[in-house]
Amino acid sequence: MKLFEELKRINIFAGDFGSGKTEIALNCAAKINETGKKVALVDLDLINPYFRTRLVKKNFEDKGIKVISPQGKLANADIPALSPAIYGVLEGQNYHGVFDVGGGDIGSVVLGRFTDYLPEGSFNFFLVVNTCRPFTRDAGGIIKVLREIENTCRLKFTAIVSNTNLGPATDAATVLEGYRITSQAARILNLPVAFICALEKLAGSLKDIDVPVLPLTLFMKVPWLL
Amino acid sequence: MSKILMKGNEAIGEGAVRAGCRYFFGYPITPQSELTHFLAKRLPEVGGLYMQAESEVASINMVYGASCAGARVMTSSSGPGISLMQEGLSYLAGAELPSVVVNLMRGGPGLGNIAPSQADYFQATKGGGHGDYHLIVLAPNSVQELLDMTQTAFDLADKYRNPVMIMADGVMGQMMEPVELADQLEIKQVAKPWATTGTDYHEGRNLINSCYVIPEQMEDLNNRLEKKYADITRNEQQCEGYLLEDAEIVLVAFGMASRICRAVVEKARAGGIPAGLIRPITLWPFPMEFVSKVADKAKIFLAVELNMGQMMEDVKLAASGRAPVYHYGRLGGMIPDVREVLREVEKLYRGGVGQ
Repeated sequence: MKLFEELKRINIFAGDFGSGKTEIALNCAAKINETGKKVALVDLDLINPYFRTRLVKKNFEDKGIKVISPQGKLANADIPALSPAIYGVLEGQNYHGVFDVGGGDIGSVVLGRFTDYLPEGSFNFFLVVNTCRPFTRDAGGIIKVLREIENTCRLKFTAIVSNTNLGPATDAATVLEGYRITSQAARILNLPVAFICALEKLAGSLKDIDVPVLPLTLFMKVPWLL
Repeated sequence: MSKILMKGNEAIGEGAVRAGCRYFFGYPITPQSELTHFLAKRLPEVGGLYMQAESEVASINMVYGASCAGARVMTSSSGPGISLMQEGLSYLAGAELPSVVVNLMRGGPGLGNIAPSQADYFQATKGGGHGDYHLIVLAPNSVQELLDMTQTAFDLADKYRNPVMIMADGVMGQMMEPVELADQLEIKQVAKPWATTGTDYHEGRNLINSCYVIPEQMEDLNNRLEKKYADITRNEQQCEGYLLEDAEIVLVAFGMASRICRAVVEKARAGGIPAGLIRPITLWPFPMEFVSKVADKAKIFLAVELNMGQMMEDVKLAASGRAPVYHYGRLGGMIPDVREVLREVEKLYRGGVGQ
């Protein structure tokens, strides 16, 4: 996709709890990797003990993607342990960095410590939005969440990602209605909607949309579907 | 009806708000912290109070206080926090105070870990605190049920003036599923003439206490509780059966394990093994009658739990020796996968029933 050839070197995904940051970060890392660039996937989620990037470490390392997450037994803990390798991604020029941040303002606290390494204009900072989630059902809610995260991590979002879904109950109408609400918020905020996400099987049926659609492959699965 | 995507933890919080609960006292612990985060945001929206207590001992006693005053009130925790609450739970049962307590089980014993578990079954259903008492224990297995059963929990608590526990595990709390939210709320709050709301609101003096220094009076309370527990046992057993009609090997599982076992039963049947599933929804009262009826026909039971074999003992009591009861479990926060449970089903069936 053209989108992934033109991305800035550092791409950070934040948003409210359960907005889909991890799946999108994984998909983006895989897509950038396909363009032939070197990719580092950074797990900054210190608050969610389940369904986080580190669970797919092996799978992604096999693709040649560098996965930076707490090492050894720290991987199973819920303590604020950050790898020094994160600075390598930010300061060096070798890797395209994809950052998966924890949910909400609480989850984005961790990002604040890296602001000195993120000069304005050098990165994409995406707000991931699912309008089927409890606190981001309308433009007002989306803007409130955006402000809470920005105030906590001291970085300004550069774009919004429309990721509206109802899990397995998602249809094209769900995705389009989510994009409509997200666009409203984006207009008020004067931010672009960078892209829309939809499961691979739905992505093809989304027509006449003025932004790119990222077809998603899901990596996190519940135990009874393994 | 509107449909939204919720985490299990959030669904419990929303269920409480929709049941008219306006007070939550708790202390964050993984894997239920999102429930406290959610209610910290949600309760002020409806004029409620969220308070982070200094410990779980404090939160359960704050629940005691709010319940005395007639409020619908909830707390939640996991593993070590629930253990700290046991004294308070016994007091709530003794003083007959309606309240809802959520346990999102994690790996133990001790500090254990933050991975999912079902090892608090004994603690929840057989006491845990001191004295002769029972909690009503509900075991939802989907995000929708977490929402709906939290509402049910408040109704049961008020109906029987008894603490109710919602038991789930870390995965249930963390996973996301679509849920239907009713547009119209119908909150069935019952009158609480016993509550200590002040003499402007009730005749004479209301006293709430669990201290009976005279043994005859203590026994009167015990007898009353015993009768209440018998009523609950008679009226409130809930259970779900799946493909039991011709089942020879019957899996018994609650919560997350029942989701895994449903997939196992389907795979077993595809492979020619007549398997079925019993899914207890109330863990106390355990659905003795349902399991007992199935034991008339079934040839073998397999209890599948994320523990060493706790609910299995109740399955044995219900089967009363009419069919052997086996157990398969993973421990320490590990989750059994469909393939390994299926292998166990095949082994038991070929080794016993299927010959």
